[in-house]
Amino acid sequence: MTLQMDLPPAPEAPVLPSPLEHLRDPRTRAALRVQQALVSGARAFLRSDGAVEMAHPVIGPVTDPGSRGAKQVDVDYYGHRYKLMTSAILYKQASLLAFDRIFLIAPNVRLEPVETSSTQRHLAEFRQIDVEYAGVTRDVAMDVAEELVRRAVTTAVEECGADLAVLGRDPDTLRRHVARPFARVPHGEVVDGLRRDGYPQAAGTEIEWEAEERISRQADAPFFIVGYPKGSRGFYDKESPATPGTLLNFDLIAPEGCGELCSGSEREYDYAALVTRMRETGENPSKYAWYLDVARHGIPSSAGFGIGLERLTRWVTGLDSAWRTTAFPKIAGVVSP
Amino acid sequence: MTPLTAPGLPEDAVRARAREGAAAVFPPLDSYGTAVFGASPAPDGDEIDALRLVPPVFMPGRLARLIDLGREPLYSDVLLDTDLGGFTVPLPVYLSALGSTRVAGTSLALSRQAGRLGIPMVIGENVAPMNGFRAGGDDHRKGLLERIQAYCEELPDGVGGVCVQQSTEDADSEVWNHVYSDPAVTGLLTSGRLGFELKVGQGAKPGLGGLTMISEAVASDLAGQYAVERLGPGSSSILRCASPGTFTDEIFRRQIQLMRNNYPRARCWVKLFPGRDVGHAAAVAWDAGAHAVAVDGAEGGTGWAPTGFLGHVGLPLAEALRRVDPAGRTLLASGRVWDGMRAVKLLALGARAVGLGRAALIAADEDPEHGLERLLDAMALELRMAISALGRYTARETGPEDLWEPRS
Repeated sequence: MTLQMDLPPAPEAPVLPSPLEHLRDPRTRAALRVQQALVSGARAFLRSDGAVEMAHPVIGPVTDPGSRGAKQVDVDYYGHRYKLMTSAILYKQASLLAFDRIFLIAPNVRLEPVETSSTQRHLAEFRQIDVEYAGVTRDVAMDVAEELVRRAVTTAVEECGADLAVLGRDPDTLRRHVARPFARVPHGEVVDGLRRDGYPQAAGTEIEWEAEERISRQADAPFFIVGYPKGSRGFYDKESPATPGTLLNFDLIAPEGCGELCSGSEREYDYAALVTRMRETGENPSKYAWYLDVARHGIPSSAGFGIGLERLTRWVTGLDSAWRTTAFPKIAGVVSP
Repeated sequence: MTPLTAPGLPEDAVRARAREGAAAVFPPLDSYGTAVFGASPAPDGDEIDALRLVPPVFMPGRLARLIDLGREPLYSDVLLDTDLGGFTVPLPVYLSALGSTRVAGTSLALSRQAGRLGIPMVIGENVAPMNGFRAGGDDHRKGLLERIQAYCEELPDGVGGVCVQQSTEDADSEVWNHVYSDPAVTGLLTSGRLGFELKVGQGAKPGLGGLTMISEAVASDLAGQYAVERLGPGSSSILRCASPGTFTDEIFRRQIQLMRNNYPRARCWVKLFPGRDVGHAAAVAWDAGAHAVAVDGAEGGTGWAPTGFLGHVGLPLAEALRRVDPAGRTLLASGRVWDGMRAVKLLALGARAVGLGRAALIAADEDPEHGLERLLDAMALELRMAISALGRYTARETGPEDLWEPRS
C-alpha cells in the first residue's frame, strides 16, 4: 500500500480496449500464460514449504480497512451490510487457528480514487498471493516472500520462453534480478535518500507514488523497505516494541520503475493492542466483532504478506501497465466489462 | 410563522440583522435625533460578553497604516480576509457543522449563501448517515452531496472550502472515503478546498456523542449502527445516541496522521469540546499535522442535548481559549457567535476565525435567500469598526491586550 500523492487535476485515464481486441492480442495471451507460470511457481514453493492453500470469503461483515481513500463495496446480505473483500488479512489471521501456514490466491475489490487510473499499477479488481505463517517474525516473512518471488520468476523464465519473446522481455535480465539476496532498507534511509536526491518526501508517511517509482527505477534488483511509520498502515501491522512509532512491516519494491509488488508485516494479535490500534486508525471496533471475538480468545502470533499478482506479472512481462496482465481489467473510474 | 427558536441567543437581534443587514448594527433609525445612548450598566451573558474591547490612546499600528495609505485610515481600510485551516476566506468566519435535524432544514439555502460569501462550511457528522450521502429523503433533510453542490454552485474562485465531519460511528459508513473519491468534489479537491473534520466532541455536550430524536421506523433502520433508547411512551421519544469515541493522546495523534496520510489533498480539521485538557489536545492535533483546531465552548449550540449538560458541563469558551496556545497555528472558536463584537473578542483571545451555528440557522430561517449574507454584512461592519478602533487593520493583529476583564 502506498500513498496517493498530489496529482495534477483530472489525470488522463487510459482508454481500455474492448475484450475483442484485448483478448486476441498476442501480448495479452503471452502475459496470461506468464501469470499462470508465476502462480504455478508460487504455489509449488508454498506447498513445498508446508503451507495449505485455502479460499477466503468474497463477502463479510467487515474487510481490511487499510486501503483508505479507496471505497469499499457494500453488499446487502439479507438486510445486513456486508463488504466485498479489499484484502483477506482478517481471515488470514483467523485461518491460522486451523493451520500454521496458509496461503491463498485471492481476488480483491477496492474502488480506488480516480487519480489512481493513471499510475499504471492500480486496479479496482485484482488478485493477491496472500501468505500467512504462524509464529514467525517479519524477517522470516521477508525470507518467504523473497524465495516465493525467486521461484515464481524462475518458473516463468523456464516455462514461458516463447511468451517472453513475444513480449520482448529478456529472460537473462529477470534471472539476474532474482539471483542475489534482496536488500532490506529502513524506511528512514529511503526518505533520507529521496531528500538528498531533491525529492520532498515527508518523513512520517508512506513513500509517495512518484517517489516510489523513482527509487524503483534506480534499483538494480527487487528490495525491501522495512519499518514504515505508525499512522501509515492498518491496525494489524504490529508496532515495534524496540522502536515505538515504527511498524514491523515491509514493502517489496520491484526494479525498473514498477514500484511496490507486495506489502507485509508481523501482525498484532493481542486483543487489547488490537482494539487500541483500531482506534488509532479511526476505526470503530464494534464493526470487527467477529474478529475481536476470535482475538480475545487467542489467535497465534504471525507474519505474512500479499503479493499483487498483476503487479508481479507486469514487472516480469515488462508491460507498461498492470491492467494489461488481466483478461478483463478494471481501472478506477473507467467503465469496463 | 416560523417554528425555529434559539434559546440562549439574542434571537430578535439576529433576525433584525437578517432582515436589515448592516443598518441593524446601530440603534433603530427612527430614534436618531430623539434619543441619546450609553452602555448598559452590567451586560447579561457569559464571560465573553462581560469582556470589553479597550482601544489604546497611542496607536503605532494606525501610524503604520497612515504611512502606507498616505492618508488617515478609516475603518473601511481594515482587511478582513485571512487564511484559515488551509482555506482563504474574505471574512474570519466559517459556518460550523449543522447537523441532520429538521431545524437544519434550511441547509441548502445556507449552503448557497455560505458559498456566495466564500466562507468555509462544515457539514455535520450525522448528515450522511441520517439524511443520505447523495440525496436527502425530503425537503427538510438534505443529503451531504446536495449541500456540497449547492455551496459549490455559488462559490467564487479562490476562496472558501467545505469540511466534512466524521465521528467514530460514521467511520462505519466511511463518509470520508466516499467523499474523497466522488466526482462531485473534484473541483474542491483540485483547488485545495476540501477538508475533513475529525469531531472529538462539541461544546453543548462535552463527553457525549451525537444525540438525535428519531421515529420508530428510523430506529429500526439504525438499530445495528447506533444505540437507541426509548425515553418515554410514544414513537416520538426515541433517542439515537452515537458514541463519543475513545481518545488518548496517542489515539488522537495517530488518527490525525492517518487523515493526513490517506487524504493528502484534503485539509485536516479537528473539533474539540471544551474539556479541561483542551490546550494539550490542541497541541497534539497541531503537532500531528492538523491544519485547524476548532474549540467549541460550553455556550455552543446543538440540535439536541440534555438540559443538565447545557448548564453544567464543559469550560466556558473564554477559559477554553485561554488554555490553548495556537503559536501562529489556526485556532477556530465557536459558541454563541452572532455579532462582530463577540467575534473580535474571540480573535483577541487567539482565534483565527469564528464559527457561526445557531445564528446562521436563525438568519436563514428569517430569510432563506439573503438572511445569512445580511447577518454577515452587519458582522463585517462591526469587525471593521472594532478592529480599527483598536488601531489594527487586519483581523490577525488583535491580541489579549485589547481586552479588559471586569474585576470579580
